[in-house]
Order: sequence, then C-alpha cells, then structure tokens
Amino acid sequence: MPALVRKDLWVRRGLLKLPGAQVPFWGFAPSPSAPPVLPGPVITATAGDVILVTLRNTELPVPVSLMFPGQTQVLTRRPATRWKPVSPRYEAGRMVSLTDALDPGTDDWIRYQFRAGKPGVYLYQSGTNPGVQVQMGLYGLIVVRPLGFERPSSPNYRTAYGARTGTGFDIEKLLVLGEVDTAMHARVAAGAEFNILDFAPEYWVINGRSYPDTDRPDYDATLPHQPLGSAVAAKTGQRILLRLVNAGFLNHTVTLGGLHGRVVAEDAFPLASSELDTTYEKTAVTLGAGQSVEVIVTPGHPGEHYLRARDYLRIVNVSSFPGGMMTRLLVTA
Amino acid sequence: MATIDLWVKDGYLSTPDGNSIYFWGFSASPDGRAQVPGPHLVVRQGEQVTVNLMNTLPLEPVSIVFPGQWPVSVDGRLARPQYDQAGNLVSFADHAPPDRGVISYTFTPERPGTFLYESGTHPHKQVPMGLYGALVVRPADYDPGDPAHKTAYGFGTDTEFDREYLLITGEIDPELNNAVGEGRPYPVPRFRPRYWTLNGRCAPDTMLPDRVPHLPHQPYGSMVMGQPGEKILIRLAGAGVDNHPVHPHGNHVRVVGADGRLLRGGTDLSGRRFTVLVGAGQTWDLVFSWTGLGFTPENPIPTVLPNRRNLGVGDAGWTMWSGSPYLGQKGDIPVGVVSFNEFGEYYFMLHAHEEHKITNWGEFPGGMMSMVAIYPSLSPAVGTLP
Repeated sequence: MPALVRKDLWVRRGLLKLPGAQVPFWGFAPSPSAPPVLPGPVITATAGDVILVTLRNTELPVPVSLMFPGQTQVLTRRPATRWKPVSPRYEAGRMVSLTDALDPGTDDWIRYQFRAGKPGVYLYQSGTNPGVQVQMGLYGLIVVRPLGFERPSSPNYRTAYGARTGTGFDIEKLLVLGEVDTAMHARVAAGAEFNILDFAPEYWVINGRSYPDTDRPDYDATLPHQPLGSAVAAKTGQRILLRLVNAGFLNHTVTLGGLHGRVVAEDAFPLASSELDTTYEKTAVTLGAGQSVEVIVTPGHPGEHYLRARDYLRIVNVSSFPGGMMTRLLVTA
Repeated sequence: MATIDLWVKDGYLSTPDGNSIYFWGFSASPDGRAQVPGPHLVVRQGEQVTVNLMNTLPLEPVSIVFPGQWPVSVDGRLARPQYDQAGNLVSFADHAPPDRGVISYTFTPERPGTFLYESGTHPHKQVPMGLYGALVVRPADYDPGDPAHKTAYGFGTDTEFDREYLLITGEIDPELNNAVGEGRPYPVPRFRPRYWTLNGRCAPDTMLPDRVPHLPHQPYGSMVMGQPGEKILIRLAGAGVDNHPVHPHGNHVRVVGADGRLLRGGTDLSGRRFTVLVGAGQTWDLVFSWTGLGFTPENPIPTVLPNRRNLGVGDAGWTMWSGSPYLGQKGDIPVGVVSFNEFGEYYFMLHAHEEHKITNWGEFPGGMMSMVAIYPSLSPAVGTLP
C-alpha cells in the first residue's frame, strides 16, 4: 500500500565547520530546535508513496521555497488555501521565485506534495533566489526505493531501481557534491549584497564536508551540521553503489580512486532493463550541475583508494593539499 | 614482461608566443630531458609491466598512479597511500623520496585500451606542473601485420585501424608554474590557465612533427594524417584539470571506447559524435574516416566545394588550402596569400570547442588546436606509436 511520507523542514541558520574555517550557512532542520544540516535531511520513500513536505521559516528575513527536480505534478498549499499545482511567482512582471514561496512574517508554513512515481535519487532545493540560497546550503536529497526493497523474497530486494536493472548492491553511499565560497556566505549571512560574478569557491565538499572530515563517521559529534560522512569500507567482491549527485553550481569530475565502476543510472533513470543494457564502465565521471550519476564499483582486490575530484585543484582546502572533494575507499579481503 | 624507466626532472616549456615556463616532467632516460607529456607507454594486455621511477627533484617526493590498473604492487605488496608523521595524506601511492629516491611499480594490464598515468603526490601541484602521460594497452591478440588483428580492443570488436594518434589535453597557468620554479607559494584559487595544450604543445607548434629540435621538452606533435577512407584511431586523454570539448572540425567520429573500456557491454554503445567532452582524467577512443565532401575512391572529385572563408584564406595571409578542389593537385590561390600546402592534401582543424582555449594568452590562433590532414598518398610509417 502506498504510504504518505510526511517531512517537516525548518529553514535555519547554522555554522559549517570546514578545515580551517567556520562558515555561516542556511540549512534545513528536521525540527525548530534541531541544528540545520548540509545536505538537508534525507527524505526516504517507496515508489508510489506520496511525499508531503511542510516548510517553515522563522529565522531568515527572505522568502524561501522548495523545488523537486525530477518529480512531476507537485502541488502546494498554505494554511488558508487549497492544493494547487506549483507555479513560478512574478511581481510586476518580474520573476521572483521559480516556485511558490513562503514569505517571512506571513503564513506559518507552506506545503508541497507529490507522488514519488519512480525509484531513484533526487535533489530537493530552494527555488527562490537559488543563485544565493542553494549556495547557502538549501539543498537535500530524496531517495525513492523500488517496491519490495526491504523484502528478501522480492526481485527488487536491495536494488536501486528494481529487478533486471543491474542495480543490486551490498553497500550504498550517498555522495552529494558542492562547493563553498566563504566570502559569499559571510556577506549573505550578514545581509550584505553579494555580486554573483565574484563567486569564487575555495572549499569543495562531499555531503557538506571537506577532506579530511569526509573520512569521519556519520553523525560525528564534532560536525553537528554535517552529519554524513562519505568514507567507504568494503570487502572484495562487494557491490558498492555510489550515488553521486551534484548540488553545486559547477561541473565536477569524480575519479573512482583508480578503479573502474559501472555507470548504472543517470539523472535517476536506470541504464538497463530486461530488454536493453546500456550501462558502461568508467574510471571517472563528469557531473553537470544538478545531475546525478550512479556507479557500482565491485573491487576485485584489496586496496586503499581515494575517490576524488579529478580537477586536482579541488582536492585542496583553499590552497593546501590534502583536502576538498576527496574521500577514502578501503577494500579488505 | 616490459620494464619502463622514468626519471622525474625539471625544465622549461616553450610556447609559440615566446614564453618559457618552468615545469616538471618525466624523462625516458637518465641523460634525457624532462618532457610533457611523459613518454607514451605502449604495453600489451596480460604482460607484466614494471615501471621504475627515479626522482631527481630536490624537495618533493613523487609517485605514479595508473588509473584503471589495479592491483599495482610495490615490493611484492599492494601499493598504498603515504601519510606524513602527522597523518596527513601526501601520496595516493608509494613514492620515490626527493633527491634521487627510487620506487618501482608492477602491474599486469588485464584489459586493452587507452589510460593515463600521472603523479599521485601533491597532485594539485605535480599534475599541472606536467607529471602526466598516457598508457596504451594493446590487446593480447594485437598484430600490426594483420588488418583484422590491428585493433584497439581485439579481434572482432570493430576497432580496426590503419593509423593511430594519441592526443593528451592539458592546460598551463604560467604564473603558478613559475611560482613553483622560484619557490614562491602556490595559490590554488588564483589558477588561471593561459595556455591550453595538446601533447604539451600549443598551436601552431602542435602541427610540427615529433621531436623537432627547438622543442626539446615537447617531443610529440598532434597533426593527424591519413588517406581517404582509412580508419584513423584517435586516442584522446584528458590529463589536465579541466574538461575540454574536442572535435575534428566539420566531421564526425565514431566513439568506440571510454576510459580503457570497449563501449560494448550487453549492447553496442559505440556511435557517431561531432564533439566529445574530454573530461579530466578520462579517455576516449575514436575511429575517424575521411570520406568528406562527397569523396569516394571511385569519385575523386569533391561534389561540394568548400567556402573560401572556411579555408583560412583571409586576414591571416596564409592558407593550408591547395587552391584546387582535387585531392593531390594544387591550383591558384589569391595573390598575396602564402600556401603551406605541400602537394594537394586537404586540411581541416581539430580543436577544443571552447574557443577561448584556441588562443595563446588570448591571441588566436593557438592553444588546443591542430589539423587533420588528408593526403592523396601517405607513408604507412606515419601515424604509428612505438
């Protein structure tokens, strides 16, 4: 039976901890007292479920909203209105938001609802002044499981996209890519103007963390706003599903630590079906902004590898190596 | 079993606008010069390869990683990342210490294809400084004397070729390179490439032959030459930090391999492309056949004459055009225009399609650009790798 998956998100201010810097950011929190996190809380559903997200904002003096790239027929409502399809917002003929937004000091909340029609990994992100708000941290992930994902008797058991899509896995890792311009964050957080032409990030993140913090475990106590690590520990022969999603503004090339992986899905569409297998192998993949690429690495031998940005100027923190968009893959016998 | 020796040295690169840029490179012999890219390594599938690395840099350790080759062993155990005493990562693999340190890597390529090799130590600095090269793995059944077995990926894989070229893309910020040479800080956020390279050279040097004496550190040319109808294998490898869309101007290629893997799993994924994005750290294998302008061996007369504006006749005052629509013949060219055409061959560009990358410090023509030349007849010795 399809379920109704409810998620509450509060837009809040927080402080990112990057190696050598504390950076103010805007993030989504699961409650008004919980810290906001980067990326935002993961929304997990099963294909066919209805996802209902309630967005609240009591901290930021700007309108905020949510967009759901890859989802169709998204509806929205506020306390005093009925459900209606989302639509861009214009004021005096000028677009002010790509979707319906919640203005500060008005309604308590805005809701968005849609049916998660097909499995995959998707972004959710701010649709209002996104050039600022997405960079400030207003993005998160939705993971939609195929029906029967948790039922061992199902052919879809522990697959990303269901039977015969070649997406069965033993280990799953969400890897959300991004970049941080500390000067921009400081100015925007202080309410100052920022000229986006000056955008020049000097931190490169996976799940909001830069190496060596990427190597720390999930929910590390020293990183309250960046709960997700990205290090992978596996045994030879295990199928590691790397779900790479580019939430940043730039294109990122990620190299698989010298190993080959099989690209099994792009932008939440599996590349194989029972009729046609169009998967292919790569040592590195290039993700455009907003895109996702899913790779299964099945190491045949032990080894200690580093998944990393192949733009080697992005495996630094500002100027110093090691750092940035890099995480460890440890394979043991 | 193949044994390859590589020395890490420094030197100065030459660019067509007269610049001289400090760099680090691999050399194939103790007396040889550092070069960019490093020596083209050509090995055979299933045969063990040992690479001995000698590091002459006085201060920096150096390692080599071989993306797509694993396991790689050092001293009979797996190569492993190196950390300093504080636990900071230094190298992705065992490194040769500075000042004449030595390290030796051994691996057996399991599959044919085109691969990169590059420094795994301080790669934010050492790779842009020039410590990269390409590795070609021949299929186990490779036989250059038998057309059915002269292939990129093995008999029956539809990757036969008559000639082959290896083009490695890169980019250079001379300020950062020279900062390294002068021992100044290396400010990564200030990286602004001014030169974009094919095989370490900028156009028009890319069109010069291999091993011209005045480019001692940049031994490889990038001119793609062939005859009509031949299968020309172009191996593209992205060694720099940026992505570069590259194409033979006005022509299509058939993409047959990526990152050292035949594009044929359950399904034949090879296909025709106008431009491929040579992503950082990635490789493409393309098969190109010129049958352009209506040319067939039975009909040597092009059926569509190119527009003169597409022939480089103009402000530049020179042309690569023969002046004749007939392959192998020369004809009249406009008065005052110099023709670099030798004997009626047909030229068209091969270039990065981010057009600011076909400049040398902003001046067109230059950068990541070369020519494809179709000759009426051409020695079989042209377009071979060692």
